[in-house]
Amino acid sequence: MILAQDLPTYSLSTCFKEGIPVFASEQISYRGEALGLILGPDPGSCDELAASARVDCDEEEPEREWESFSSSQIVFHYSAEYGDLDAKFDAASIELKEVYRNGIFDHHYSEPVGALAQWEASKLSVHCATQWPDDLRRHLADVLTVPESDIVVYPTEMGRTLDGKLWYPSLVAAQAAAAAKISGKPVRILYTREEDFLHTTKQARSAVSIRSGSDDQGRLLALDIVILINIGAYNPLASELIYQAVSAITGIYSCPAIRIEAYAIRSNTIPLGAMGSIGATHAFFAIEAHMNNLAQRYAKHPAEIKALNMLKKGQSVFGAPGLSNDIPFARIHRELEQISDYPRKYASYELVKKRDPGCREGIVRGIALTLGYQTGRSFSLQSGGNVYSVEVTLDRDLRLRIKTQAAIGSEPLKTMWRKTAAEILSIQEDHIDFLLPENTHSLPSGPMTLSRGSSLIHALIEKTCRSIQKKRFRESLPISAKARTRPLKTQAVPENLFPGAQLFDSVSWCGTAVEVEIDTLTGIPIPLAVWMVIDAGKIVNQQTALASLRASALSALALCTANDFDPLEAGRKDYMADSGLRMLQLPRIEIEFIEPDRNTAARGIGELPFITIPAAFYSALTQALGLDPRQLPLKGGEILRLLEGS
Amino acid sequence: MIIDVTVNGVQRHLKSRSGDRLVDMLRKELRLSSLNADCLQGRCGKCLVFMDGRIVHSCLIPAFKARGGTILTFEEIAKNPEVNDIEKAFHATHTQPCPFCHTAKTMVIFDLLSRVPLPSEEDIVEALDMVSCPCGDPIGLIQTVKLAAELRNKRKFNREA
Repeated sequence: MILAQDLPTYSLSTCFKEGIPVFASEQISYRGEALGLILGPDPGSCDELAASARVDCDEEEPEREWESFSSSQIVFHYSAEYGDLDAKFDAASIELKEVYRNGIFDHHYSEPVGALAQWEASKLSVHCATQWPDDLRRHLADVLTVPESDIVVYPTEMGRTLDGKLWYPSLVAAQAAAAAKISGKPVRILYTREEDFLHTTKQARSAVSIRSGSDDQGRLLALDIVILINIGAYNPLASELIYQAVSAITGIYSCPAIRIEAYAIRSNTIPLGAMGSIGATHAFFAIEAHMNNLAQRYAKHPAEIKALNMLKKGQSVFGAPGLSNDIPFARIHRELEQISDYPRKYASYELVKKRDPGCREGIVRGIALTLGYQTGRSFSLQSGGNVYSVEVTLDRDLRLRIKTQAAIGSEPLKTMWRKTAAEILSIQEDHIDFLLPENTHSLPSGPMTLSRGSSLIHALIEKTCRSIQKKRFRESLPISAKARTRPLKTQAVPENLFPGAQLFDSVSWCGTAVEVEIDTLTGIPIPLAVWMVIDAGKIVNQQTALASLRASALSALALCTANDFDPLEAGRKDYMADSGLRMLQLPRIEIEFIEPDRNTAARGIGELPFITIPAAFYSALTQALGLDPRQLPLKGGEILRLLEGS
Repeated sequence: MIIDVTVNGVQRHLKSRSGDRLVDMLRKELRLSSLNADCLQGRCGKCLVFMDGRIVHSCLIPAFKARGGTILTFEEIAKNPEVNDIEKAFHATHTQPCPFCHTAKTMVIFDLLSRVPLPSEEDIVEALDMVSCPCGDPIGLIQTVKLAAELRNKRKFNREA
């Protein structure tokens, strides 16, 4: 058995003062935290040994409350103020204050976490499904007090990670590596699906309070916002979550006076992580729901209120550089209305609701539009978070080797890159191999998060292949070419600008419409259709982009329809009940790109469904219900109670 | 107990405990890596095998039920030329499944096309409902199955779908 005291260092170094313990020693912070490892020749022997192990501990009252938190629970705090808030609130005709809550979600990524560690003399090799090999190596070096150059990480081929493999694999790999060192044998840790579901990271829970002051037309004058994000027992990406949420909280709207207080709060539940769209989902959902509320208050159409408050060319929030172009709201809105038949459906559902407010007869449906954006920015995901590199070598046998940290990416992406390289160099696609750079420790790289980086990698592959093609008939093979991105620096950041300010650099715009029907027997909301119109510059491969967006759209919808994960009550039975929409329940998904062939830089699109769909789904739900529950997800029973109450 | 069963054409005598599921026995005794015991609820599909000609979730079958039966796993199915058609279709439609569900999706499509050479969209959706993995684009998968059917029919009968 291996316990905390057997390790040279106890914890992974993180933004937490005390770090994240590899094994719990003095205090157990959440149900499912590792206390130690029992090693055996096979899983059966380990089970037998574990059954005979006994853990003695004193019980303390767990800290579960997070909306009214104590100062010791604050892991990260951010506050910023812009404009004369009090004066603007005094001048406001209507003041509206609401709190919007998001539950804990499990993203149901493809494979459970695991790691295989093996020592050969002083060298350590680790096989692990991780999105962030560089972070894993750094943590292993820290925990085991060995130089990073002695550690080789082999990221295994992964399914869709949905950002669930950002930091947690580092913890599991550290446990396996420490056990391998002590036992002198290779050690494999592989979570069962149930263990993974119950005890590893989920998307953080949030409560966003928005108080707005607006003039008699509905124009925003002041916003007073408090963002609380429950990060569970640990989350090394707490600051990133907060910054992303803060930068997205004003959405696409302009406001002359804003105050934001944001807190990452610790509680004794499983680590609640930074999953798809890292914090922005919470923020977009809250601001879009608030704008809908505002529209109701003014008895106006939501699109009218949104258009009135939208940022215009040259405008900005928090003194950031102004928008260089107008938000393509009108065009996206027009296209969305056309493909979704929004005006007719919206009007008829409103009419149905007025005639039958209790929804006791007929159809209970709603439809809503929302506009959001994805940027390529990361605020704290290590320096070099946006740095990607590619080294391409064309060998004598006309095989092409592409070395990049994106070699851990998904197969459809690699197919797209293969096709590009094969077309430029006129070689066969199956003659192209992807490899990880051998010495990745020399290149600090950020995590491969959803689609961030894939468009950059594509540009690098294109560039290096063209460079090889130029030299190909002048120089003898093999020929190599290298390229790397520079950290994103498209706009100068003013010195006094607060770190979470949105710069709208490399932005992909997306309008999403969602149509929802509520099952009147069970109360369960059923998504009927999703329409998306995307303006993301050049789309390198439309088929791959569509496939990726449709898969993300379904994952995002699953987040809206799943039950809120309860860390205390959840069991195996809950896993498959919430693991996404089944083929037989698939909604219609239509996606259109605006001028996908134009000659502009490609931008990320993979997070757009996670950013816009929950907000649109919620708005459609409120239209269907005629009520504003101010939380997501909602269980069928809760919806039925709301309908009964109305 | 010992279970006599034919797995991938070879007669086997496999050890099993009374509570074991078929997937556990096949993984433990024969180390068949194409199978995964993931959800254990017959939803994810990562444990699909052919048992006496029918595709089943082996996590839902007690090991003793396989006594005297014939089991085919992906290791055997992969030898069929139909699997090549499916692979080509995955590639052409950019819907390659993740390594975790690749075998499961291939098995389901293989089963469907052997039963229904020209499947309708309803047939496809019903068949693919046996596998649940967030990796893929389900709408793209429907196109994949249609293309795989086309390739299969073209190869087998030299005619278009």
